[in-house]
Amino acid sequence: MASPCEVLVDTDDEPTARAALDAARGEALRIEHKFSRYRSDNVIDRINHSAGKPVEVDEELAGLLDYAATCHEISGGRFDITSGVLRRVWTFDGREHTPDPAALAAALALVGWTRVSWRDRTLTLPAGMEVDLGGLGKEYAVDRAATRIAEVTASAFLVNFGGDLFASHLRRAERPWLIGVENPATPASGHLGRLQLARGALATSGDARRFVLVRGRRLGHILDPRTGWPVEGAPRSVTVMAATCTEAGTLATLAILRGGDAARFLEEQGVQHWLLE
Amino acid sequence: MRVQLASPSPASSVRQRLGAAACLLLAGSMPAAAQTQLAPGWQLETTGLFYGEQLRAKVVEPTGRLTRQFANGRALSLGLAVDAITGASPTGGLPTGQVQTTTSSSGRSSTTTADAVPTHPFQDLRYAADLGWVEPLGSLVSASTSAHFSQEKDYASIGGGLKTSVDVLNRLVTLTAGAGYNRDRVFPTGGTAVGLAPDDTPRIPGDNPKEVRTGLVGISRVVSRRWLLGATGSQTRETGYLTDPYKIISLTDPETQLPVAQVNEKRPSERLRDDVLASSVYHFEQDIFYMNYRYYWDDWGVRSHTLDMKVRHDLSSESWVQPHVRLYAQSPASFFVFGLTQGRPLPEFASADERLGPLRTATFGATYGFRVPGHRGEFTLRGEYMYQWLVGRPPTAIASSTNTPAGDDSGGGGQHLGTNIGTILIGYTVPF
Repeated sequence: MASPCEVLVDTDDEPTARAALDAARGEALRIEHKFSRYRSDNVIDRINHSAGKPVEVDEELAGLLDYAATCHEISGGRFDITSGVLRRVWTFDGREHTPDPAALAAALALVGWTRVSWRDRTLTLPAGMEVDLGGLGKEYAVDRAATRIAEVTASAFLVNFGGDLFASHLRRAERPWLIGVENPATPASGHLGRLQLARGALATSGDARRFVLVRGRRLGHILDPRTGWPVEGAPRSVTVMAATCTEAGTLATLAILRGGDAARFLEEQGVQHWLLE
Repeated sequence: MRVQLASPSPASSVRQRLGAAACLLLAGSMPAAAQTQLAPGWQLETTGLFYGEQLRAKVVEPTGRLTRQFANGRALSLGLAVDAITGASPTGGLPTGQVQTTTSSSGRSSTTTADAVPTHPFQDLRYAADLGWVEPLGSLVSASTSAHFSQEKDYASIGGGLKTSVDVLNRLVTLTAGAGYNRDRVFPTGGTAVGLAPDDTPRIPGDNPKEVRTGLVGISRVVSRRWLLGATGSQTRETGYLTDPYKIISLTDPETQLPVAQVNEKRPSERLRDDVLASSVYHFEQDIFYMNYRYYWDDWGVRSHTLDMKVRHDLSSESWVQPHVRLYAQSPASFFVFGLTQGRPLPEFASADERLGPLRTATFGATYGFRVPGHRGEFTLRGEYMYQWLVGRPPTAIASSTNTPAGDDSGGGGQHLGTNIGTILIGYTVPF
């Protein structure tokens, strides 16, 4: 997951807390092993080296691909799990870089969910294309870990994987969970706000840690797959609240992909959100 | 830097589509976890039931059930129950204006006076055990088998059942089908009574067999995030000895209307029973509302309606309360009689057992459940009050006695000689 992960359980019973932690860790590791693009022994690696041949996938991956396809459609093509190859063209280390136009054009030719064949549980990628579930994986892992924890305890709990979190229900004596929304400009101190969460999920998307300077202009790391460039005018940070972490994370990403329209998009959707421009 | 905090406005279509897509994704069945499994575990439930009918039967029934969950959703359950029943049961005889004597099958006798319903005392101890196994077949189908056994002084029963359920339409709908078979033996104390013969006719020794076959089908559907609806239908065929061996019917003198003799009851040796049940579970913000309606009919002419409602309300995260109301109305079997007139030809079948009569009951109760902090087990305490009465009971002999002052309604026709029944159940469930 490449971020600190924690599980909070509202109980006095240590074996229960351990069981919850084991359940969450097991599920997080399972999902990472199965869907990480950095591994050479999983189905994602097989797909990314399939050289144009069809690959049959299992029920879980099929569910994720269906979800990604729906997001692609809802966002008018801005949300695209094949856009991972564009990372080769950019370096988000906070320093000045300019992308090579030829390399960018070549990479763009390998981007586009519409070029992929996805039907009957079979995925066929043209040679050279890749799928990257990194934009969905962490939030999906939060929701799955929450389901596993609920199987081993009825106590209230909160799962937080690197800032994407889910709370199951109110703590004992009807007390909510207290969540601080981090200020990306000063991550170590000073919260933007505090909220009381009874149940539900929060996910944050933004460029607090990864950005690039192009001719003196600061650009975030979320790329528009239609142009190959970072999204223009996007807020520094977007936090969204929803019933599940998957939904919250997708809404936050869709908002950033709208660039300067992020605020209006989130208002139209009627979700609770916090923006930092 | 501009910071915004916004409040929700009506949902729009992107959010709805996303919500539905996320729901679909997360509702998909999960593969077995590589590192952790659903921890197999045990669960023990025990209950103690105390049941008292005003002036009649008292039952004390402790039960225990042990369930073991295995990985992959398999489960084994073993249940044991002991009933200790003491008290008095109505014989089916009519109340009289005179002292009336009844003898019980254990040789003791009792006397009742005036308008009390004649009863005879009895004592019985019943042991019952059942065993069940649940086996998931793939991720959408599950099968369960069960066997049960019970034994008391004059009745033994053994049987088994099979049930399977299938989830379809993305797990929104569950279809269930089941079948059961029971083989019973009735061996009344003192021998079997001869149907519709005078009650002092010598009884026939030996066993009487009875077979029960049941089939059921059901469907349940998730209507919305908050609402679950279900319907089941079942049919049961009973064959064999279906008469109650201790019930009698009073023969009344055609002129005085006083009971002067008694005959044993007699019921047909076949019974076909059907019922349909509709059920609803609705989840409000905090509370859950359960409602069931059942319509029953059989080929003995009995028809009944049952309406049952409960609301579960959480008082805190450690305790809850559940009030309960149940209303029941039954129309009698075609051969049900309050009494027979002496001298007239006897019908083919007859019974004065009030459980086959025009019965009404109203039950009010509540359950309180709580956990002791730091402890895994859950306690439940349930109290229920039931009022039970027969409609259309003929006037008792008191009304025709000259001792009664004019205008006294105590023996009037159609009176409801109701019974008050109280139940207390204490339960304890603990996983380990």
